[in-house]
Amino acid sequence: MNNGNVVEIKNLIKRYDNGRIKALNGIDLEIREGEFVSIIGPSGSGKSTLLNMIGALDTADEGSIQVAGNDLTLNKDLSDFRSQKIGFIFQLHNLIPNLSVLENVTIPMYGNGYKSKQMTDRALKLLEYVKLQDKSARKPTELSGGERQRVAIARALANSPSIILADEPTGSLDSKNGHMILQRLKELHEQENVTLIMVTHDLKVASLADRTIEVLDGEIQA
Amino acid sequence: MSFIKLMAKNPFRNKARLTLAVIGIAIGIATIVALGMVTEGLKVSLEEQLKAGGADFVVMKNTSSESSSYTIKDNRVDEISKINGIKQAAGIYTSSRMVDGNQLGLAGINNKDLNMLGAKITQGNTYADDKNELMLGKLAAEKMKKKVGDTVSLSGNEYKITGIFETGNKELDAIAALPLKKIQVMDENEGKVHFIYVKITSGADLNTVSQSVQNAYPGELTTIASLEDYQRANGGLEMVETASTAISLLAIVIGGIGIINTMIMSVFERTREIGVLKAVGWKSRRILGMILGESIVLTLLAGIVGIVLGIIGIEAIIRLSDTAMVLSFTPSLALKALGIAVIVGIIGGIYPAIRASRLPPTEALRYE
Repeated sequence: MNNGNVVEIKNLIKRYDNGRIKALNGIDLEIREGEFVSIIGPSGSGKSTLLNMIGALDTADEGSIQVAGNDLTLNKDLSDFRSQKIGFIFQLHNLIPNLSVLENVTIPMYGNGYKSKQMTDRALKLLEYVKLQDKSARKPTELSGGERQRVAIARALANSPSIILADEPTGSLDSKNGHMILQRLKELHEQENVTLIMVTHDLKVASLADRTIEVLDGEIQA
Repeated sequence: MSFIKLMAKNPFRNKARLTLAVIGIAIGIATIVALGMVTEGLKVSLEEQLKAGGADFVVMKNTSSESSSYTIKDNRVDEISKINGIKQAAGIYTSSRMVDGNQLGLAGINNKDLNMLGAKITQGNTYADDKNELMLGKLAAEKMKKKVGDTVSLSGNEYKITGIFETGNKELDAIAALPLKKIQVMDENEGKVHFIYVKITSGADLNTVSQSVQNAYPGELTTIASLEDYQRANGGLEMVETASTAISLLAIVIGGIGIINTMIMSVFERTREIGVLKAVGWKSRRILGMILGESIVLTLLAGIVGIVLGIIGIEAIIRLSDTAMVLSFTPSLALKALGIAVIVGIIGGIYPAIRASRLPPTEALRYE
């Protein structure tokens, strides 16, 4: 894939419940490297399924999907791809409660050849980037919702991914914290040339992106 | 934080569940340790007894013979003493009586043969074979608060304490030695002994002499010169060891089931977290290793607690029951206990670990 596209999807079909539910129904999509794309659509439209397929969390039933030069339709272990190319940000941050903020940020680094000290140093830098270096020893439960989501951003950046996939990153935050998180993500996209693909149902949030794609009943709307 | 530290940290999330799981396994491990200490103690004591005396080997009834009796006719003592290479043979009759509420072990032996017990008289003198006299072991005297000149009532007869002896063996020092004839009469078992202690002449070969005795009484008598010989001749130790192995297996099965339950609960509660780990690129085998490692950390902790509980428990039982039993805790026993703990950890952790590693990430992330 040397045409500048980081994501190339052709006729992607995904079914659930023994084929009774068609979550994605022939998706064709191209996303350029460094692009900020938002995916909108109502609940159950298939937008999160599409994001999960791009992140190799789920496999296609039909069609082809290539992300960052990797053919995800080949049924192989894609954990290295997820670890090195993708950074996930979830709506509910999904931090590990018994680990400190710092330890949570180091989690994606395991198995990537880092030594313990290198992991700590890198995690501290990332926490500085999201302005939480003073809270590195705290447990996630001691942080506000916005702070937790900033920790999740730091965790997503742990292995310097080329693509950030964010699934409703502001969905559980108030408007002030939501705005702050979006500013961080936009900065990240602009400064680091990271491809940012964000699922949202909020049109105002979606308008921040370079391009908005609407998914309805498993299909991209023209 | 290293991966090992991460594994070691996770079981402490739910302290109540950790405590219950640890106690469940620790009880099994404690039983193994306690039984092991008794078995090892028996071996140590037997070895001490075999080495303590002046005897080179001990003759006892071959328990695999047709006769169910454990006694030997005491005319065998004289016969054996005449076998080539034998310097001295002493018949010993063992019994026990309740004295002032305490069980007192008794060894009947002619006073000329007391050297065979390896006993050193620390106070008083030896007894006369024709009188109601006895000598107390040091520990027995301390326990019964008796001294030289006091009397002890045995089966309605008063026996005068003529001396206190010490062998260095905890079990021998907790008994009384008295004239052989007296104890045989007391037990209505005249002319019988349980053991014949044998000393060989200098220059004689132990194996040759010992074999001569066995050859002289084929199928009737056997000789014991070492702990191995004793184990071969007497099924008692083997029985305790078999019981210990059976309890170990039971502990593995019960502990394993407990760990499966604990780890499945843990995986169940952390389904979403496992989904996140997969999303950030953790390989299935790393997740499997983490859950299995957590299980082993938990059982190793239980192993350490079990060892401590086992030592304290059996020491307390022996003290409370006032029994002169030798207990022995060896490094191999500690390794066995920890080894069993690790096996329980692996057996109990493998299924939950496989289950966690196979969780589809999208399903795990959707889990509420």
